[in-house]
Amino acid sequence: MSQDRLKRYAIVIDTFKCFDCKACMVACKVENDVPKGFWRNWVRHTGGIGGRRTQYQPGQCMQCDKPSCVAACPVNATYKQCNGIVAIDPAKCIGCGNCVTACPYGARYRNPASRFADKCDFCEHRLNRGEEPACVETCPTRARIFGDLNDPTSRISELVRQKKLVQVINPKIDTNPGIFYFSGTLPLDWPVEPTLPGGVHMPEKFWKMPE
Amino acid sequence: MKLTGAAAAGAAVGGQSRILHALVSKTAGNSKARIERKFSVCDMCFNKCGLIAKVDPYGVVKKLDPNPKFLKSRGMLCARGNAGIKQLYDPDRLKYPLLRQGERGQGRWQRLTWDQALDHAAEKLQRIAEKYTRCGVLFMAGTDLQSTFVHRFANVFGSYNVISHESNCLLSLNRAFLDTFGEIPIPDMLNCKYVIMAGANRFEALVTPDSIDLMTAMQNGCKLVVLDPRFTKTAALANEWFPIRPGTDMAFFLAVAHVLVAEKLYDPRFVAEKTFGIEQLSAHVNPYTPEWAEKECEIPAGDIRRLARELAAAAPTAMVYPGRRSSDYENSTQIRRAFAIVNALLGNWDRPGGLTAARKIGIKSVPYDPPFYEKNPEKRIDADRSLMMFEEEGSFKHARDAVIEGKPYPVKGFFTYKTNPMQTGANRSKTIEMIHTLDFMLTVDIAMSDTAWMADIVLPAPSNFEREDPVSALQGSSACACMVMRDPVVPAMFESRPVFWIVTELSKRLGLGEYFNYSMADYRKKQLEELPDAMDALLKDGVYYNPGKLYGVYEGKVFKTLSKKIELYNQRYADAGIDPLPVYEPPKQVPEGKFRIVVGRNAYITQGSSTNNELLHELLPENALWIHPKPAGRLGIKPGDTVAVASKVGKGILKAHVTQETRPDTVYMDSGYGALSKGLTLVYARGACIADILEDYSDKISGNMAMHQTMVTVRKIT
Amino acid sequence: MIRRLGSALILLVFLIGAVGLALAAGDGNARKGKYLYRKNCRTCHIDGGSAKSLSPIDKTQAKWDEAFKNIEKMPCKDKWSALSEKDIQDMYAYLWGHAFDSPSPAKCE
Repeated sequence: MSQDRLKRYAIVIDTFKCFDCKACMVACKVENDVPKGFWRNWVRHTGGIGGRRTQYQPGQCMQCDKPSCVAACPVNATYKQCNGIVAIDPAKCIGCGNCVTACPYGARYRNPASRFADKCDFCEHRLNRGEEPACVETCPTRARIFGDLNDPTSRISELVRQKKLVQVINPKIDTNPGIFYFSGTLPLDWPVEPTLPGGVHMPEKFWKMPE
Repeated sequence: MKLTGAAAAGAAVGGQSRILHALVSKTAGNSKARIERKFSVCDMCFNKCGLIAKVDPYGVVKKLDPNPKFLKSRGMLCARGNAGIKQLYDPDRLKYPLLRQGERGQGRWQRLTWDQALDHAAEKLQRIAEKYTRCGVLFMAGTDLQSTFVHRFANVFGSYNVISHESNCLLSLNRAFLDTFGEIPIPDMLNCKYVIMAGANRFEALVTPDSIDLMTAMQNGCKLVVLDPRFTKTAALANEWFPIRPGTDMAFFLAVAHVLVAEKLYDPRFVAEKTFGIEQLSAHVNPYTPEWAEKECEIPAGDIRRLARELAAAAPTAMVYPGRRSSDYENSTQIRRAFAIVNALLGNWDRPGGLTAARKIGIKSVPYDPPFYEKNPEKRIDADRSLMMFEEEGSFKHARDAVIEGKPYPVKGFFTYKTNPMQTGANRSKTIEMIHTLDFMLTVDIAMSDTAWMADIVLPAPSNFEREDPVSALQGSSACACMVMRDPVVPAMFESRPVFWIVTELSKRLGLGEYFNYSMADYRKKQLEELPDAMDALLKDGVYYNPGKLYGVYEGKVFKTLSKKIELYNQRYADAGIDPLPVYEPPKQVPEGKFRIVVGRNAYITQGSSTNNELLHELLPENALWIHPKPAGRLGIKPGDTVAVASKVGKGILKAHVTQETRPDTVYMDSGYGALSKGLTLVYARGACIADILEDYSDKISGNMAMHQTMVTVRKIT
Repeated sequence: MIRRLGSALILLVFLIGAVGLALAAGDGNARKGKYLYRKNCRTCHIDGGSAKSLSPIDKTQAKWDEAFKNIEKMPCKDKWSALSEKDIQDMYAYLWGHAFDSPSPAKCE
């Protein structure tokens, strides 16, 4: 895994190419055995701008740099890896559900079969085989661009340099997400503040990562 | 070591060591054994995208990935393609031959062995042949790589009553463009700079590479204008959308032609050299002004004029997108003729961003000489009911009527393969009526579709992942011209058998074995006689390309028309008493208090088989009736209410989806729901079946079904 | 021969008059014509055969009219004498009906 220390995975999404065919959702579901009733990724939409009537916005776990889910976990079962992916260790997970409601993006779910937390992991098992994440590979318009931010020659690094990119965040809980969108993407106002399971207010100290 | 899901079930039920053995691959014991990658071709719709199936060490398909070398799909695999895995491992799959017990539609079956089933079927077919002539059996095969064998069987059996889904879909388009250009063109979306898309929804009704190329073209500055009564996703992403009044597309395009002619916005040299009938056309479109068209299609005259000018300015890299499904109105052929004529005026034939000719891939047909049965009637049963039917395609609507009427002669047998007219044929009550007149119905399918549900004998077919298919050509526009083939990814499950084997066995029993005395390998060898490199490429890359000329194919060639040019004016029509230029007929007014119901698709629920697919079903468990808030309000319908939608021929009960995304006079529902078959666990009695509601009209010229002329009432039910 | 020419001509005139429909009204059973064509002509008129490969789309309707007007000019004219007038009519209907520029151009089958 010494190779991984040098990589920093991220995704850039050109949402203007998305037409909500849901290929990414189904591909992910099959690839990762996501249980019925749950999804690891999604496509949101809203009214458009600049002459376009509708904007589609694919999304998934943002693999944040300051993840509120990691902060909310009482047993350190979830953690940020050096390669950028926020991982879950099922051996440590106690299934409390804090991380699920601590996520501003609703990216996590409690797997009803295993009772452990689960979410997108950029198809790490595919990365280890030299393949891209399923959602990236299957997309008809290649709306997602996956790559290594530490590699200045990668397409994603090029995009970071050349394009105006934005993050979709709730300013109150900026977790510094690792998924970047082409500027102009909508909607932007949907990430929520963390709560405790049951809709209970979650104090900041639970989900704010130490600086 | 765990055998997952249906594989385990299969092992338990059959108890046949053959199946168990096949599931456990030789590499199972090797801990280093990894995923095996095998090429195949998706079967979830007509596009036939190449893909790579990933098979685990236990012989279980775990994931379907795109084939990066498959250019037609630009190396992608859509939601349905990914969901193919749940068709292969569908718990509702047919497992063994079945014989109907009790009444049709009761769903009581007796299991037969293959020999019993085939003997029984052959005997029934023979009896019908003797009592009613060979044409007494109607054959219907879907868009499948093995359907060619069903057609071959029909031919050697001696019936020329062969139909397909085409007459429920694209025949009006084919007729119109064939009669204008002498062949059915393939649009080059990728390089187009201006597209007017009417009656097509490419970002939901996916066609490869068109759907993908359209987005790329738009990113490169192509303008997309959509005319659609619904605010589809294509409309949502277009540069401009007009909620055109349904049935008035011809008015719009005649007005566009008027502007092009009146303002001389066409290339006079192209038109003079390559088209026939500009004088007649000019005179014909003179009265069809934008001001006149505005009253018909409800698009402002100023916009019509502007769009025509913009279209012309972008020509020849501009097009009126031909579309595909054109089973809308009784004058759909003439409507699409208007599309074709405007394209002709744009001069976009045989060049980048325009309409291109089909390319030869080089597959040889495998000839055979079927016997001639003297006792056969002279014509098909659906003959002489439409003005210019395609002989080999026929008309589902007219064939169905003819079977019910017993005229011109009785048809008492029905052989279906991978087609589902019980879900897709407008006016389901008629399909049911037709089936009840039959002596014998045989269905080959992978699941207990609504059509299989009505049959006498149901034979289980394997999925595309389990069979050997002949080589087939695909036209990929500017992406490619290619061929694909299938070899089994996993062994055939349960007792399923490919239809090639089924017709081989039937022909043996009918004394026609000499016509099916070859293997698939033999057949492929003949097909690829002139392409010695093809098989290697197919095995290595999952696809074979024959890079032929894409543009300029017609240089020095004539058009395959009577005038040898593009026919703006069609002399043959004139001679047959058909309007040689499209004459506008307004669609019927929507009666007060009623709605016109229209048909369409989304990107994940497309064929009748999508709805029972576990993965796709989850995205849309049941259909709902799209209705505009204004009329909904008048009818007291709130979002989520249950409504009854009724036409002259049937009704459906489903939830209401109150939305601004449809015209107030137009309602819509997705297809594939409201299944009658209890063998489709997920979609049995879920939602409503649009086939119950649609009245069956047909295009006068091609006999294509006309599905947009049904007026319905909608009322809330508690 | 003159009689055959004459009847072919009458047929020709009739067929030209009935332009437009894939199956010419009444005269000439195209389906039987296909079978007869394959039985009688294609044995030679095929790739690698003794005559030029020939299928309906190899000629326009006008060219087929011409061909059937001039049967005696064909190298195989003797073979034609074995056929009945009805057979010739049927073959004509088939070839003409699926010609290069017909409404139902033959697909290779």
